[in-house]
Amino acid sequence: MTSATLGARRGRVQGSPLARRRRRVFGPFLAPALILYTVLFMVPTVYSFYASFTSWDGFSDPRWKGTFNYQHLTRDPAFKDAFFNTLKLLFGCGIFLFVLSFAFMLLLREMKGRRFIQGFIFLPHIVSGVALAAFWGFLLSHDGMANKALNSVGVGPVDWLKPEWQFKAILVAIVWINVGYYVTILMAGVDRIPPYYYEEAKLAGTNAWQRFRHITLPMSWDVIGTAAVLWTIGTVKIFEFILAFSGSQGNLPTTNQWTSALYVYGETIGGTSPIYDFGRACAGAVVTLFAVVLVVVVLRRATSRDRLEL
Amino acid sequence: MSTATSGTRAATQDPPATPPPARRVPWARLPGTTLIWLFVAFCAFAFLFMLLSSLKSSFNVLNHPFRLPTELKFSNWSKAWHDGGFGPAFVNSVLVVAIAATGTVLIASPAAYVLGRNQGRVSGGVSLYFVLGLGIPMQIIVLPLYSIMAKLHLIDNLAGLIVLYIVVNLPFTVYLLMSFFATLPGELEEAAALDGVGPAMTFWRIMLPLAKGGLVTALILVAISCWNETFLALMFLQTNDNFTLPLALVNFLTQQQFTGEDFGVMFAGVSIAVLPMLALYAWLGRRITEGLTLGAGK
Repeated sequence: MTSATLGARRGRVQGSPLARRRRRVFGPFLAPALILYTVLFMVPTVYSFYASFTSWDGFSDPRWKGTFNYQHLTRDPAFKDAFFNTLKLLFGCGIFLFVLSFAFMLLLREMKGRRFIQGFIFLPHIVSGVALAAFWGFLLSHDGMANKALNSVGVGPVDWLKPEWQFKAILVAIVWINVGYYVTILMAGVDRIPPYYYEEAKLAGTNAWQRFRHITLPMSWDVIGTAAVLWTIGTVKIFEFILAFSGSQGNLPTTNQWTSALYVYGETIGGTSPIYDFGRACAGAVVTLFAVVLVVVVLRRATSRDRLEL
Repeated sequence: MSTATSGTRAATQDPPATPPPARRVPWARLPGTTLIWLFVAFCAFAFLFMLLSSLKSSFNVLNHPFRLPTELKFSNWSKAWHDGGFGPAFVNSVLVVAIAATGTVLIASPAAYVLGRNQGRVSGGVSLYFVLGLGIPMQIIVLPLYSIMAKLHLIDNLAGLIVLYIVVNLPFTVYLLMSFFATLPGELEEAAALDGVGPAMTFWRIMLPLAKGGLVTALILVAISCWNETFLALMFLQTNDNFTLPLALVNFLTQQQFTGEDFGVMFAGVSIAVLPMLALYAWLGRRITEGLTLGAGK
């Protein structure tokens, strides 16, 4: 829309009595949400940036320490674990999740009970991660179901939860929980592709692969990009599944299974002997936020360029 | 785009989108189709297992996990409810979710209304300001919030948690309702203005009833997210009396290693947390999936 039409439209809206009346309630209607959101969401966000440069226990006043917390983070093995695990979830899990979701979506489009299946595999997304962790833990425990099933075909018990595998077990579970959600998102995007594109392509004698390569894929770049942004924001929230799956007896999971959210919890009030290092935890959260912003910007760039390729 | 239009659009598109089956080679897709059915079967198994195990003895859950329950041990549920702490936690959860979800929608809808229906630069800027909150992870705001809540003596206090739940759900709810209000027809509003109905009354008597579908969707989505929320609850609640269901479950899972494992009771607790969501989803599934994926349609 050009600035001229925008200006004209605004002029018209400003002139109408309806718009004038609506402007009168603009302030009062907006105020409660805006004030609450500003005071308890945006101010804390900004304060976290400040606190990341201080030594702070959450109760007394923070003391300025410059970049000390950030220097510490580079040497803190717990933070490195948390940060790289978050990246593992974001990229390792993410690529697998998206390929699987896209494949499921394409297959589902041509299956009979597509609505039913789509609704069904969405289920894990709306129940508590703690409950799913209880199930997952029981499934993989030493005398759990996976080993019972293996045993019945004569294969000895597998130690699924040995330390090197435990985080991988979490990655698989996260894929399981999220596939339905991303199938639904991708499906909504692909549903919007006008069917006559396919009809014309068919008349032109293309095969299924060509139609996928030259219609479905380029036309879905947009929704794939949005889904990837959602996934990026979603990964840094992953918390309770890992806590419930790997924590025990009031203790936190070992740091090699931490994620960004667990780091914040673990460095402050979490565990049997809390550390209350609010300053350092804020620095960790800030680094995570910057990583997220960076990934989102890169994703946006990448998907918006490729979309034009059609 | 409203949920209603996207729904009808998908429906009208369905028939031409399905290709004539005769030209396809069915077995070419067989591995993929099998994989999907296996995945569906696994999901079904997971949920059936959680629910059915809640009625089995611990011994049978452990030794015969794949068998249907031989006797229905409802005592698991009463044990979980009374001794496992899930009863009080359920009451807390219901209370927190009901107030937080209603509060969020009450506060978000007037704001979303003025933001969704005004086209000005201010309105656009404020909308963007709210949308910004969608990308800010919880861990960045939680520590300053902890300090604020400690000063207000609202740590380990359900009212404090409710306020936080309202705040963290505002960005999404404002965003969702904003796009909803934007799609409502303007004629009724204009007619009301010509009849001399005040703007606040117009919103309350005309626009809110029109937006009922969107409000219900928002209410349900906020309720689901609060029902399952664990991170803030864990940060801000301390005593068992105040625990919500996810905390009671975490607590039970981690205590089990001390008290000996009773898997029947454990899955009864899991079922108490999961069953209300399953019921809600069975009832309003389409609305939930469309609401949750709405943001991606842009």
